[in-house]
Amino acid sequence: MKNFSKSNKTLLIVFGLLLILGLFAYFTMGQTSFVRTSLSGLTIGALYFMVAAGLTLVFGLMDVLNFAHGTTFMIGAYMGWQFFTNPSFLFGVAPLLIAFLAGISANTLLQVYVTQWKIDESKREWIKRGLILMALVFGLIGVWGIDFLDLAETAMVAITFTTNPLSELSPQLPLAVFWYRPLLMLFSGALLAVAIAGPGDKTKTLHVDNAKRGWIVVAVLIVLTIVSVLVRESGPEAVLLMNADLRFVLSLLVGALIGAGFGAAMEASLIRPLYVRPMYQVLVTLGVAYVFKEVIQVLWEPLAYQMSRPPFFSQPGKADNLIAWFSTHNTTVDILGVTFPSYRLFIILLGILMLIGLAILMNFTRFGMIIRAGVQDRSMVEALGINVRRVFTLVFALGAGLAALGGIGAAPFIPVQPNMGDAFQLQGFIVVVIGGMGSYSGAAIGALLLGMARAFGDYLALKFSLSPAISEASTVIIMAIILIVKPSGLFGKKE
Amino acid sequence: MDNLMLNVSNIQTFIGQFHILEGVSLEVPKGAITVLLGRNGAGKTTTLKSILGLTPPREGIVEFKGNPIQGKRAYDVAAMGIGYVPEHRAIFSNLSVAENLKIAERKKGDLDKKADFIFELFPDLKRLYKLPGNHLSGGQQQMLAVARALVPDNDLLLIDEPSEGLAPILIQQMMEAIRSLSSKTTVLLVEQNFRMASQLAEYYYIIDDGKSVQHGKMADLVNDTETVHRYLGTAVGALGGKR
Amino acid sequence: MAELQTQNVKKQKPGLFKQNQLAIIVLVLLILFPFIMSLITGQPANEGKPKFWEGQFINFFIMAVYAMSYDLLMGYTGILSFGHAAFFGAGAYTMALWLTHFAPLISSQYKITLPGGMDITTTLLFIVALLLVLIVSILMGLFFSGASVRVKGVYFAMITLAIGEAFHILSKATDFVKWTGADEGLHGVPVPLWINPTQHRLRFYFMALFFMVVMYLFLKRVTESPTGRVFVAIRENENRVRMIGFNPATYRSLAFVTSAIAAGLSGAMFSLWNMSATPSMTSAVTTINALIMTILGGVGTLIGPILGAGLMQIFSQFFYQWFGARWPLVFGLIFIALVVFLPYGIVGTYRLRKQGMKAGWTRFTKQFSAKK
Repeated sequence: MKNFSKSNKTLLIVFGLLLILGLFAYFTMGQTSFVRTSLSGLTIGALYFMVAAGLTLVFGLMDVLNFAHGTTFMIGAYMGWQFFTNPSFLFGVAPLLIAFLAGISANTLLQVYVTQWKIDESKREWIKRGLILMALVFGLIGVWGIDFLDLAETAMVAITFTTNPLSELSPQLPLAVFWYRPLLMLFSGALLAVAIAGPGDKTKTLHVDNAKRGWIVVAVLIVLTIVSVLVRESGPEAVLLMNADLRFVLSLLVGALIGAGFGAAMEASLIRPLYVRPMYQVLVTLGVAYVFKEVIQVLWEPLAYQMSRPPFFSQPGKADNLIAWFSTHNTTVDILGVTFPSYRLFIILLGILMLIGLAILMNFTRFGMIIRAGVQDRSMVEALGINVRRVFTLVFALGAGLAALGGIGAAPFIPVQPNMGDAFQLQGFIVVVIGGMGSYSGAAIGALLLGMARAFGDYLALKFSLSPAISEASTVIIMAIILIVKPSGLFGKKE
Repeated sequence: MDNLMLNVSNIQTFIGQFHILEGVSLEVPKGAITVLLGRNGAGKTTTLKSILGLTPPREGIVEFKGNPIQGKRAYDVAAMGIGYVPEHRAIFSNLSVAENLKIAERKKGDLDKKADFIFELFPDLKRLYKLPGNHLSGGQQQMLAVARALVPDNDLLLIDEPSEGLAPILIQQMMEAIRSLSSKTTVLLVEQNFRMASQLAEYYYIIDDGKSVQHGKMADLVNDTETVHRYLGTAVGALGGKR
Repeated sequence: MAELQTQNVKKQKPGLFKQNQLAIIVLVLLILFPFIMSLITGQPANEGKPKFWEGQFINFFIMAVYAMSYDLLMGYTGILSFGHAAFFGAGAYTMALWLTHFAPLISSQYKITLPGGMDITTTLLFIVALLLVLIVSILMGLFFSGASVRVKGVYFAMITLAIGEAFHILSKATDFVKWTGADEGLHGVPVPLWINPTQHRLRFYFMALFFMVVMYLFLKRVTESPTGRVFVAIRENENRVRMIGFNPATYRSLAFVTSAIAAGLSGAMFSLWNMSATPSMTSAVTTINALIMTILGGVGTLIGPILGAGLMQIFSQFFYQWFGARWPLVFGLIFIALVVFLPYGIVGTYRLRKQGMKAGWTRFTKQFSAKK
């Protein structure tokens, strides 16, 4: 017991302080406003946590300050919303992307042969460049002429489950004109794979044992390509005609997965070559954030979209209590005399589930063990023979996936727009600083603290007729105080 | 040269703009303990790191069991069968003892296979098995660091200053442990404690100013006070203890 | 990069003109530019086409100073700050607030005249404004560097981002709408008549040019002074700086304050030029612009950021015509490519190449001398 209180001193202090402040607030504010403010604080905190968890892991393990995290949040929201409202875009793009991936994943297979080619050293670089250029050309021809904007077009407030569920659907290109595109993408990816494998470069390490796994990956991806080509038209319809709640769950998954894929692709392509120049990694993430925000605006205009809530949370009326809500699924629930939107409770639940999931992952799996070890001493993990690069990519994917899940989770109650992630990213940074780098539990506590601060700050601001901007800016003060007391953050161990 | 475990020839390593190793060559024979001697900052630790690929050499050749390994990523090199015990007892202090050992597994079940051997060498670890790393004393941490390198099947162990900051009685225990492991694997040791080094090692290399300057059998060096004095300085005066 | 700078310092000085030949030619060209333009177009230097192009250049001069101020921090001292817009914005808002709210108040009540009877009230008030900008900039610099005493590196970058963003939020907070105009910002700032950028475009042109040249010389002086060398040393190895007896924290604050002054002044100039101060000046985009200009031109070169600012001006002008409203997309792609493939920027890469050529040349000549 003594040990527990010693090793969790900070935690106890923080909770003690929160308790005191909470009690104080309870008696000065009265029950109703206290409960309401606390609940919205929890909601905000849960969202902050979803953003900050990925940030803190990525930063703790790789020292990469990911400025594209807010963008991942936004991409998650957009992709999930698209899947939920008008999946034609996703289904239309999927074959191309998967085909390209299939090509690129042939990298490990090709390496065995490609590195043995007899190429003069002076020509290697040129051959590599030529291959990349060719891949680019093939890729461009592959996508040329597809009207992505048309595929993506969606109404600002689309209601997908009352009248005609298929109203948003956009037409796909017929198979007769489409079939060659995935082929070209596959080719483009394969060319790129050859270039990466390093033709004639015999110094490269060969992973012959991976070859079998490589074959399986490529085969699976090619099969997936074929399937996705075939379901381009029937898929979106089937999704839209599906039970809306199930569709929502699926869109959570899709959003998170696309976010994770986005993160992995970013790490593998842009971040990885720059581990020797950390400052430039930050700049690259900044550039990625910039570019993808623009891409989203190209596809969906700089508009604010509204995603409808799944019917599970949107039956009209108010449930008398939480238990009653489970049979009525109303929009709002009465909690201790406070009318509270039921969807926000779901966000809180999602945050808690994510925390539990992360805790299990970090404490009971080998992957989590490696992450915890890597946060402390990256090079030692490498010296043990663990492929850190793969771990880096996976952690980046994990972080991005969590942020994207946060994004699609938040989409039904905040406007879906290109800069929706920015504010969350900023607060996510503050949470990470407060909680300490690389500590997911620190991020959880930091998010809770900041969420509460925002909620109660807004309450106070309203009371003194100030704008919510004041409470938003004041979270910086909390950060400053904690940094003065503990420069490495509440739970940070890394110097 | 079939009996060579490791062959390092003329490696040049830079850290940032600093030229740290300016030509280190080593031949580490199979099944023996070879020790790297030299002053502080001579480049002994960098030599180990360069072998492993943590600070990859810009030039030169490193061969492990006859295969060139220079330029490969550290995890690939390590996975070929090289264990590394870094200086300053770099264990993962936020992981438990069990996890510290478990993370070193390269194949599932490595730890189960080696557990008896490890606990025989370091009986303390069995008792501390569930404790987090930062609750261990310095000596226990050092033992854990060595034990960690024993979990997978390593053909070569690179051990960096195992006696650093240990109490004399623990040094003795550590020496016993290293000696008994050398019957199973080859050991390349960096050691400031000349007494420990001289009792353990069969071969020695002296590194000075980033270059390997002299090598031979340990037995010869012990009698060569002049060399010892020239390259190891005060170490000879403090032959008994840590300088 | 360190060798580059020390080499520059070590260069002998064969006369002021010869050493700075190119710079002086460019300067003369810039001074003559309005008149050349007016010759070509046949319009007076204060109207029409020349006026438009002068405007482009004024913007460029001001942004160049802003970019240089960022280079002092990032390129020379190695501090990655994401709150730089706060300095710029603080300068802009100080100037605009003073000119909008306080200066008219004072000048309506007091008249300050020279013994000859000349009214110098507005001039004096303008000088006060500049002083205020200086003071605010110094305070901002100290405030930001205060955070760097205990926290370093990328972690620190995160904190500057947060502080900078807090300023941005405050600048558009509705609470101060009476003063700052909140989201709208302050528009139609009563700039003293004699430097009004619309009426006296040519005068403003020279003022901005003068401003850039002075700030360039000032920053160059700083970076080449012993203090500046400590900045570079901090970037290279902070522990070593501490070991030889300098306190890195002091020097970091110095760098911050110098940079803040330059950025603040450029912000003030910008608000005079636009006759406005808006929240966009304190936003992250403004910081990112500084970053892009610096990276584009070349980190740690001072002349690079000027070039970067020029290119940025051209990009933003033409990319809009070529690519439409989504031009930042193209720009972002170029930025990523730059960071990955051309990390030293234009000037840095040029210098590296030149160095390479020089080294090649000496090797070449050595060969011959060795054969003799």
